[in-house]
Amino acid sequence: MTRLRISLRRLWALVRSRQMDREIDDEITSHLAEATEEYVKRGLSPDEARWAAQRSFGGVPQTKEVYRQVRSFMWLEELSHDVRYALRTLRKSPTFATTATATLALAIGTNTAMFSVLNAVLLRPLPYRSPEQLVMLWTEDPTQNLREGRSALWDVEQWRAQSQSFADMATFDSVSTVLTGADGAEQIVGASISPNLLPLLGVRPVLGRSFSTEETEQRQRFVLISHRFWQARFGGSHDALGATLMLNGLPSQIIGILPADFQIATLDADVWEPHTTRRSVRGPQTWFVVGRLRPTVRFDQAQAEMSAIARRLNDQLPAAERRQGISVVPLNLYMVGPQSRLALWVLGAAVFCVFLIAAANVTSLSLARSTARAREMAVRAALGASAGRIVRQLLTESVVLGAVSGLAGTLLAVVGIDLIRAFGPANLPRLNEVSLDLRVLGLALAMSLLAGILVGLTPAITAMRRDLRPSGEEGGRSVSGGTSSRRIRRALVVAEFALAIVLLVGAGLLVRSWWYVSNIDPGFRPERVVVMEVSSPTTFNIPAQRADLYHRALEQIQAVPGVESAGIIDDLFTGNPREQALTMERDAGTVSERLLFTRDEVSADFFRTLGTPLLRGRFFSIGDRLEAPRVAIINDAMARRAWPGQDPVGRRFMLGARDADGPWYTVVGVVGDMRRQGLEREALPQIFVSLAQNPPSRNVDVFIRTSSDDPLAMAGALRAAVRRVEKNAPIYGVTPLEQQLGTYLTQRRFQTSLLSGFSVVALLMAAVGIYGLIQYSIATRTQEIGLRMAIGAQAGDIFRMIISEGLTLSLTGVAIGLVGASWLGRAGSSLLLGVSASDPLTFTAVSLLLTAVATAACYFPARRAMRVDPIRALRMT
Amino acid sequence: MTPDKSDVLYGTLGLMVIKTLEALGPLHGYRIARRIEQISGNQLALNQGTLYPALLKLEQIGWISSKWGTSETGRRVRIYVLTRTGRKQLHKEEAQWQRAARIVERFLKISESRS
Repeated sequence: MTRLRISLRRLWALVRSRQMDREIDDEITSHLAEATEEYVKRGLSPDEARWAAQRSFGGVPQTKEVYRQVRSFMWLEELSHDVRYALRTLRKSPTFATTATATLALAIGTNTAMFSVLNAVLLRPLPYRSPEQLVMLWTEDPTQNLREGRSALWDVEQWRAQSQSFADMATFDSVSTVLTGADGAEQIVGASISPNLLPLLGVRPVLGRSFSTEETEQRQRFVLISHRFWQARFGGSHDALGATLMLNGLPSQIIGILPADFQIATLDADVWEPHTTRRSVRGPQTWFVVGRLRPTVRFDQAQAEMSAIARRLNDQLPAAERRQGISVVPLNLYMVGPQSRLALWVLGAAVFCVFLIAAANVTSLSLARSTARAREMAVRAALGASAGRIVRQLLTESVVLGAVSGLAGTLLAVVGIDLIRAFGPANLPRLNEVSLDLRVLGLALAMSLLAGILVGLTPAITAMRRDLRPSGEEGGRSVSGGTSSRRIRRALVVAEFALAIVLLVGAGLLVRSWWYVSNIDPGFRPERVVVMEVSSPTTFNIPAQRADLYHRALEQIQAVPGVESAGIIDDLFTGNPREQALTMERDAGTVSERLLFTRDEVSADFFRTLGTPLLRGRFFSIGDRLEAPRVAIINDAMARRAWPGQDPVGRRFMLGARDADGPWYTVVGVVGDMRRQGLEREALPQIFVSLAQNPPSRNVDVFIRTSSDDPLAMAGALRAAVRRVEKNAPIYGVTPLEQQLGTYLTQRRFQTSLLSGFSVVALLMAAVGIYGLIQYSIATRTQEIGLRMAIGAQAGDIFRMIISEGLTLSLTGVAIGLVGASWLGRAGSSLLLGVSASDPLTFTAVSLLLTAVATAACYFPARRAMRVDPIRALRMT
Repeated sequence: MTPDKSDVLYGTLGLMVIKTLEALGPLHGYRIARRIEQISGNQLALNQGTLYPALLKLEQIGWISSKWGTSETGRRVRIYVLTRTGRKQLHKEEAQWQRAARIVERFLKISESRS
């Protein structure tokens, strides 16, 4: 207890050391005054009395020193002394301090910001109970290239009944939902979930309650609403509970409010309705499936069990569907796929390289400075500072530097995080969770310390070595500036160049991929085309009403001045389509197969509007009326898949299996492939049927090709055209098609621009590094250069000597870096598209760029070296 | 967890300080120093400065406490007071010191009779 009390008092003393210094001063002064007064009383003269008082007191400074030692922890006092000294020295060399702090702060700031993204997207557990037990279950069919396929409820029931690995399984999907309110109809994001989904995730409504299975079976219309919807529509009022929403024309009662930011997988909906999971027959509708593993079950065990179940179930399926498998994917892996993960790790590694380069640069700077400070160190050593004490002083200086940089860097990171949240790729999941939490702050702190130690260690070690030699002499003549520290600085420059080239190659490859991707032909011409999403009013329950509405809307739109043509498709950009059975007439006879394809209703002018080329046959025409034989247009991919090597025009097919009683369609035309899942994904097999012959969907995309370079200016006129036909038809945003296509590129743009940014910073830092080294090397070799010139070297020789010194270093770095880059390029090759990981063009261009930068960085110091005046240089001793 | 005796007593100085404070009550540094010198009949040539680290140490272990006050001559001085712990410890220390002194005394007597 006593020792604890002493420690506490000492700590306290440390805090108020200044005041305690003042107090002991006062106390000693009083003491001496009392003593003097007493001596005066005894008859001494004031002067004699003062002397006598001081004699009997003893040495005042010594007393204070002993007092201070007793007062607090000696090492802490020394540390605070060192820190103060370090701050003072840094203030005295502002150029060094500013350069070093700015460099390190930039590096620490970017690292912290980048790590906050990694932390939120990859490291932080998902916001569910025991998220590590959650998996997505998918129906797979490798022969159909079907991965991550949705599953029928009947299948899920079988899985649940037969498996031992799972505590429970739940199903969900988004459903298109129209909300009708006082202000008219609008489209909102809805979700349909099995009633056990929320308990499975361990999520409870923040207000109200969830659905029960019984209520769901009874088909009571209850909904949960998202926190966001609650705030926006009800202002967060408790009155929301029990309120009724008109969803798809039917009243639904709100029974609960979900927690803020709740989403499942990537589904983020405003209203959540339950669906019953009981199915007696295997219906056509399919769902996303999420499962919770029992606590002790591993993913591979669950996968093995599900594969066995899939084999058993296949025997009960129609022959066309017997190749199905089930895959088990951890939920976090599904939410952030391997591609995004790899990209984030690559960016993280890249930004760490930037940090290393920055640290190398500052180390190099501080080595140069410590060589210049050799004399100061020699003096301190002569005055009795031990080698350890000097090393500690130097380390303290660099750690202080690191701490200041870390602070500035963290402030930078705060700005960076805001930028990332604002401009990051919206389709990167969990980006909204990016924040500066304790773990991120911990990283910033660790990096500051690491920077401090890295930067200080080398100068400290060289200082210790130098200490063994009589340094007064070296400091005086400063011939070489310490050979060992120069060797280290050269090695640092080589390392900087090696790291920089790795980054530059990575960025170069990504830029090439970007260039390739943005030049991919999407299969249509998006210029001057706008998309308008239109819904039919919820009262339009007869398909003919909707067909008529769309038909008349198109007529009105086409009459708007500036409109060249207009066409309708139910949805241009498709997510993951489901595989479906298709029965085709081939030469060999009629076959049924399960295929992965899309099927859409389009209006007659759709292809002309989008500019999709017709390869064979014809487009739809006015003749393709409801009463006429049903016709279809397929794309090239479908033609190759369904009728390989044959002319599909005139062939017939039917949607569904052979025994399905659907209408037969005759293929009348083949169009070019459209990339409807984004530019980076190959076109799927696609079937287009006529809007006039098929019941149209409730929501459609209307495409309008305009003659205007600013098609958005026509938005008002276009809306008005639709309103003239039906004023209750909900219209959602009018956006340029080019912009919609662009959203598929945001993630790639994010990766490419970040890595390019990092590599430019790396390049600049490497250039500054080599410039500083060459500059310094010339400054310390002025005499040598003078001597060389005196014995006959020409200015050109000196120039070449300096340049070749720089080039040797940079080329060594480039060579090492190229080896590293080609090795790392293979590891990250899945991020590349249309360019190989060892793309010779990129490698050559980057090597040339770096060499050019190095030459430029050496050029100016070399020019100065040429102008050295031999006489003055030799006199300079 | 008692602190190291030699540390605390600073060569018996600490014991003298607390004994003085017990006998005379609250005192400031100079008075303590003078008192010790007087008791020792001015035989103990004390460097008065050494008193202050000793006082600080005693305060750290909680045997004495201090506060700022005014001396008889009207100066601002720090006045030291024996705490309850200090008083208890004083008796222990006294007993221990006397035992030690007796041992040394006996030891010296034996050595004398030999020679």
